[in-house]
Amino acid sequence: MIVLSDFLLSLTLLSVLLSLASNRLMALVKIMAFQGIVVSLIPLVLEQHQDLAMGSILMLQVMILIKGFLIPGFIYMALTKIKIKREIEPIIGYHASVFAGLFFILLSAFITDRLDISLPGGQVLLMITAITTLAAGLFLLMSRRKAITQVIGYLMMENGIYLFGTALAKETHTQYLVEFGVLLDLLVGIMVMGIVLHNINSTFDDVDTALLGQLKD
Amino acid sequence: MLEFTCLIPLFTGIIAMFMPARLGRIILLVTAVLHLQLTVLGWFGKVTPSLPGYFAAPPDGLLVLLVTSFIFLFISVYAVFYMRETEMASEPHYIGATLFFLASMSMVALADHLVVLWIAIEATTLMSAPLIFLTRSKSALEATWKYVLICSVGIALALLGCFFIVMAMASNHLDVGITFSSLGQVAEQLDPVWLKAGFIFLVIGYGTKMGLAPMHTWLPDAHSEAPSPASALLSGALLNCAFLGIYRSHQLLYQAGLGDFSSRILIGFGLLSMLVAAIFMYNQTGYKRLLAYSSIENMGVIAFGIGIGGLATYGAMLHLIHHSLIKSALFLSSGNILLGYGSKLINKTGNMAKLLPKTFALFMAGFAGISGFPPFGIFVSELLIIIGAFQQGNTISVTIFIFALILVFAGAARLVMRMCFGRNDEEILVPESYGRLLPPLGLLLSSVLLCVWLPDTLYEKILSAIATIGGGIHG
Repeated sequence: MIVLSDFLLSLTLLSVLLSLASNRLMALVKIMAFQGIVVSLIPLVLEQHQDLAMGSILMLQVMILIKGFLIPGFIYMALTKIKIKREIEPIIGYHASVFAGLFFILLSAFITDRLDISLPGGQVLLMITAITTLAAGLFLLMSRRKAITQVIGYLMMENGIYLFGTALAKETHTQYLVEFGVLLDLLVGIMVMGIVLHNINSTFDDVDTALLGQLKD
Repeated sequence: MLEFTCLIPLFTGIIAMFMPARLGRIILLVTAVLHLQLTVLGWFGKVTPSLPGYFAAPPDGLLVLLVTSFIFLFISVYAVFYMRETEMASEPHYIGATLFFLASMSMVALADHLVVLWIAIEATTLMSAPLIFLTRSKSALEATWKYVLICSVGIALALLGCFFIVMAMASNHLDVGITFSSLGQVAEQLDPVWLKAGFIFLVIGYGTKMGLAPMHTWLPDAHSEAPSPASALLSGALLNCAFLGIYRSHQLLYQAGLGDFSSRILIGFGLLSMLVAAIFMYNQTGYKRLLAYSSIENMGVIAFGIGIGGLATYGAMLHLIHHSLIKSALFLSSGNILLGYGSKLINKTGNMAKLLPKTFALFMAGFAGISGFPPFGIFVSELLIIIGAFQQGNTISVTIFIFALILVFAGAARLVMRMCFGRNDEEILVPESYGRLLPPLGLLLSSVLLCVWLPDTLYEKILSAIATIGGGIHG
């Protein structure tokens, strides 16, 4: 079981690196859908949750549905609707981004090592993946210009938080805390809706937040 | 049944969305009055929350609720006249969104459960975003996008903070409800490392919402793009609610014996916010942005006061009340200025003393109040914070504090003088009217009144609110 969870965690790390390298929005959305499914599966294969209650299994399915299908599907719809497929011109280049991703992995390994906290069931890799995903999500959010890519960065950050919650949820799992992270998906949904409904496309030439640069000091 | 302070605005908000604007205005006013009545009943303990474990009515929450409800009433009166005289875009949306906003803020004030508080603060973001986007202009869109994105990142980090706090409980094999009141009772048994980590994330998360530098970047844009009544509400009520989240976490750390740690963080963020605000105020071009930066500065003052402890906490709580009263009055009069000159730029205004004499009087009085001149309450609160800081022996930080206050005053005074007495020969677009002058006047007068005569019940409530973090009137 441990091996399986390590496998899934490695897949998550890979998807993080891939998303930092991808310059096609459609591919990015597909990676995010994949990442969403993998991340939602992780609680299932972790040792501590083997005695899953009925409620948790239901929650798991809801998570997969939201993270893997609904939100990415929503973003996909938005992409086809506002017709942007072309490559994104990032503030920080792709090679540098991948390098930053690798750096985040090292950094989170270092942090996890230094924290020296008693993680249940030796989930060192889980902690590393969680911190990396969180940091890379924030990085993607800050280093890309397109509004939609920023939303995707936010989504990744949120996956990281979900992993964090999973890593920490021990006794707390009875109290339904991690599951409230779903509410963050609500924010993502509303942001995408904002992009689609409020015609960011027609107000600007494309969904580029560099054009959102009127207000500054 | 105190939960009705959330439910009533929620229901009336839904109704107002589908009603014609004229009826919507009446609904707005009636809800504001009802909300204030219910809050006052709750204040005196006649009405209590009926869902223990999720909601509670601690003195700090009641204080924020009362301030919110009080200024909401005045802002609604102003908004009604504002909407009557101007062609406000999508008026039912405005009324609905403000009522939802009020509902979510009441929920923040009464929340006791960690996650309920978190949900409520997330809800305030969602409910206030339509208010900022109301004009549907390009810059409004940008402000709203920034607001939603930055605050969402903040709220996500705050959720992580909640995880850590719960982890502090779980790692020591405690099993109590995750409410602030029950965690407070077992605070000393909580794991200090997780608690500290949780506090940092909560301060960053909720601090984004409160406008603490360097997470404040959304605030000036949102406050300047929103219509004036909405800016008044954002500045006077929303920031307090976010502050309440930080205050509760600080309380928890104090009870756990980690008060020094959290105090130092709050002092740091407070001073940084004041300095950043002072720098950006110096060469500001828009007067609403000027006021927004002043809000950042004042939130810094409150965080600083809470961090110092002792007498300064009392000062910080007074500051919270008076800042809400005076700042919302200032934003409301800035709405009159905007209608009069038709521009948010300081350069386009001028000679207000002659062109808009009554607004000028209000704006000047408000400016004097916010700068800490008597007879307005901020004079007392800032004085108490400074005395409290000296009592605690924080000489270096209080020096920076006073320096920042001077910088803010120097920067803002130049611009305000220019607005009031600078040259301008243009015609006024919309003349002043009493409906838009009396609400800010009322707010300013209440600040003066509270400065010279503080009702005993308010005094006791403040004392019991700050007693939990070791604050008190006797240092």
